Amino acid sequence: MNEFHPEQLVEHLFRRIRGDFNLGMREYLTAIELVRSDWSIANPDDLKQALKPLWCHSRKEQRWFATYWEEAMLAQQQSLLRQDKMPSSEEATLPSVPPKRADFPLPTEQVIPPPASTPATSLKPEAEPQLSPYPVRSPLMPTDVDTSIDLENYLPVSRRAMRYTWRYLRRPIADEPRDILDLEATVVQAARDGFFLQPVYRCRDTNHAHLLMFIDQGGSMMPFHRFTRDLVETAHEERSLEHVSIYYFYNAPVQYVYSNSKLSQLVALDEALSHCDNDTSVLIVSDAGAMRGYRKLERFRSMTTFLTQLKQRTSFIGWLNPTPTERWDGTTAEMMSYLVSMEQMDEDGFSNVIDTIRGQA
Amino acid sequence: MKSAKHYRFQEDPKKRPQEVYPDAWNKQEPYVAEPELVQAVNLAIHLGRPLLIEGEAGCDKTRLAAAVAYELGLPLERWDVRSTSRAREGLYEYDTILRLHDVEAQKVDKNLGRNPSNPEDYRRFGALGKAFHREESSTVVLIDEIDKADLDFPNDLLAVLDDPWEFFIPETQETITASHQPIIIITSNKEKGNLPAPFLRRCLYYFVEFPNETKRLQEIVESHYKLQAEKAPGEGLVTAAAEKFLEVRREGGLFKIPGTSEFLDWLDALWSFGSKPYTATGLRRMKSIPYPEVLFKLRADWKKYASTS
Repeated sequence: MNEFHPEQLVEHLFRRIRGDFNLGMREYLTAIELVRSDWSIANPDDLKQALKPLWCHSRKEQRWFATYWEEAMLAQQQSLLRQDKMPSSEEATLPSVPPKRADFPLPTEQVIPPPASTPATSLKPEAEPQLSPYPVRSPLMPTDVDTSIDLENYLPVSRRAMRYTWRYLRRPIADEPRDILDLEATVVQAARDGFFLQPVYRCRDTNHAHLLMFIDQGGSMMPFHRFTRDLVETAHEERSLEHVSIYYFYNAPVQYVYSNSKLSQLVALDEALSHCDNDTSVLIVSDAGAMRGYRKLERFRSMTTFLTQLKQRTSFIGWLNPTPTERWDGTTAEMMSYLVSMEQMDEDGFSNVIDTIRGQA
Repeated sequence: MKSAKHYRFQEDPKKRPQEVYPDAWNKQEPYVAEPELVQAVNLAIHLGRPLLIEGEAGCDKTRLAAAVAYELGLPLERWDVRSTSRAREGLYEYDTILRLHDVEAQKVDKNLGRNPSNPEDYRRFGALGKAFHREESSTVVLIDEIDKADLDFPNDLLAVLDDPWEFFIPETQETITASHQPIIIITSNKEKGNLPAPFLRRCLYYFVEFPNETKRLQEIVESHYKLQAEKAPGEGLVTAAAEKFLEVRREGGLFKIPGTSEFLDWLDALWSFGSKPYTATGLRRMKSIPYPEVLFKLRADWKKYASTS
């Protein structure tokens, strides 16, 4: 019963955690290789100690791993237990099923008496003395239990991904001081002149990307404040963006927007748009009614007015919707998505929207 | 490439081989490691994968590499990653300007020791480059504070820290292949969020916990003072200081929690800074924390503890 099958355990565990832990085939092969090598793995604890640094890459994962490990151990023990029991009990107990049914006939079975009764009569005498439980053997199926892991870790776009993706928003123009040594040009110059006079320098590139963000705040956007905050913070942190302005609105920006997330400092919309020129990238973050699933004409109308104003100034407009595409159907979001390029807020969607607002899509 | 599988770290400096390579690491590091950490180091050596060590600041992540290098009698190459570090710096740097300069300079000075027609005179290996280039033995490479670098930095290292363990230098048209599997230890504080997933996947991961027991702290103090000429603080004082220190940590509410290195500094101050060392009973009886400047590095923390004294 206490037999230890490391490879089986490794496989079972790998199947369970592969998705959550972002592991590849190579990690599995390494683990198998480790089990087969002369690395001493004599008991489950050794294996646990060896797999932990190999498969877990954060403390959180280490904690999950402990849980999964317990589960896997339990599952393996049970399967071994069954395997030990089955060969002997199978022949003896299986025939006891029909007689039992015959003893307590169910009304549905009485509809078809001939097939049920014939084996019952023949088997009844020898099977009667055995009062064993039903031999139920269900195959070992590693079920994917939906634990709270997914909830706890609900990050449509991670902070890291945001920082990374902002980087793609760039408009490099070489107008900084000439301070980058161009080696190749220097050598070419020296070869052409026949003597070396001075190195050739190039201008440094700067990113002239201007970002203007309008963020829907409060109400149905409440659950996403964490992400909008991350979005704002990462945009501010990204030093390569030359100019970042953020404005907030509630439901739709009409005449005024707000310059703070608490929606207390009013700014006239005209003023907010005054720095918006044809090189400015505009990003709108709002659920557009998809969160509550309604369609309101007045909201659509005010949003359209706003978009028209924007479109007169720049063509790099993108919309990030924190609700998934499936929820847009029949809401204002669906209508808006025909007017402006709207993407759901996950890593792909965010990358796509960045492509849109830098004029690549 | 020769594997490093035969090396076994046992957390015992006495296990250092009698004959070591001439450029082996010679400074003994006091280090007290958890058995799991020792296991993780050995596993990394066995599998030939980098070992990523994370943990609070001041938990002696960096010293581990030196302890490993000392015990195994291997050379240690240390690469301190800065915010401007590029992956290439760890492999090699090429001084084109010096070469250009030497073309002219050799007309005046014949004894430069470098020949501009030989490109190899102008490449200098970085920590990883040296480890790859070393033919006599394996090398312990410490990539310190990898999280301080640019976000892309770990990704740039991906290809190098993997089979076939080689890199190419375009300037000299050389391919440098590691003749011995290097033992790579990477430390990180997670200052800029998670490291990229593909990089993490290639590493073994270990999280260094703070030694949350008086006994462990005592062990650390003991091993720390064993190697020093100074007289070690009395056992009573160490116990009292450790208890007080752990109490501060447990109480929580600190913005920057002091680590092991701060504890050692603080103990040193208690023991030898004043004209007379603190006594265990004296320290226990004190309501405030003496020498708060050693332990608290933020104004809010400072206010909380220092103002009471």
